[in-house]
Amino acid sequence: MRTFTRKELARYDGSGGIAYVACEGKIYDVSQSFLWQKGKHQVIHRTGADLTEVLKGAPHGSELLERFPIVGSLVDPD
Amino acid sequence: MAKVAQEMVKKAGVNLDELVELLVNNAAAELTTYYYYTILRVNLIGMAGETIKEIAETARIEDRNHFEALVPRIYELGGKLPESMVDFHNCSACPPASLPKDPTNVTATLKVLVEAERCAVRGYTHICNLTAGKDHRTYDLSLAILNEEIEHESWFSEFLGEGPSGHFLRRGETSPFVSKFLR
Repeated sequence: MRTFTRKELARYDGSGGIAYVACEGKIYDVSQSFLWQKGKHQVIHRTGADLTEVLKGAPHGSELLERFPIVGSLVDPD
Repeated sequence: MAKVAQEMVKKAGVNLDELVELLVNNAAAELTTYYYYTILRVNLIGMAGETIKEIAETARIEDRNHFEALVPRIYELGGKLPESMVDFHNCSACPPASLPKDPTNVTATLKVLVEAERCAVRGYTHICNLTAGKDHRTYDLSLAILNEEIEHESWFSEFLGEGPSGHFLRRGETSPFVSKFLR
């Protein structure tokens, strides 16, 4: 499985049609999600980023991300 | 224009543009859900479907009420609804509650209904979290809507066998929490 640095992950912000987010070291492809249109979720969250910390304050857990395909892992999660 | 109302929200540290966008997206979710629930309700027929029809109808009407209640707050905060209905649909905070491929599958319809309600519960919890102690009017409105969305979720989840919620269907009334914003 492919590995991504944070810098590489940031390229997949939805602007090129591909939108990835990271959580707990895993990279999820949310490109097809209605809830991540234009690289945004609930207005304030952006794709191309590690959402591990953000998810701690969200009204749902990482289980909702598990619905999406995993495309790689984050090599520098901390 | 509710100039001071906007000023209070900004002074409290809320990003006004982001909040307005969230409210528009959730208003879109309510109106589109009203539309999609119309189709779901029409197809809830037969022995199993008729059992669900009444609560689907109540949820449908209350979602329209939520849209009606959200619109004044959007304009008070300096926002507006998109001119295009297509744009409005596509900015919805929740995915379309589309009719299942097999419309006679009542369990599949219930899953669509409960997922739509769960999206709404998460969305209004998010707005409550952003506005608590900062934007009292938006918080009050979002909390009222959240109360009703939680009840909708519980009605549908009980039919899916997820356990009792302690709630009961409405008795002739609609929007017991949101009605104060509709007067």
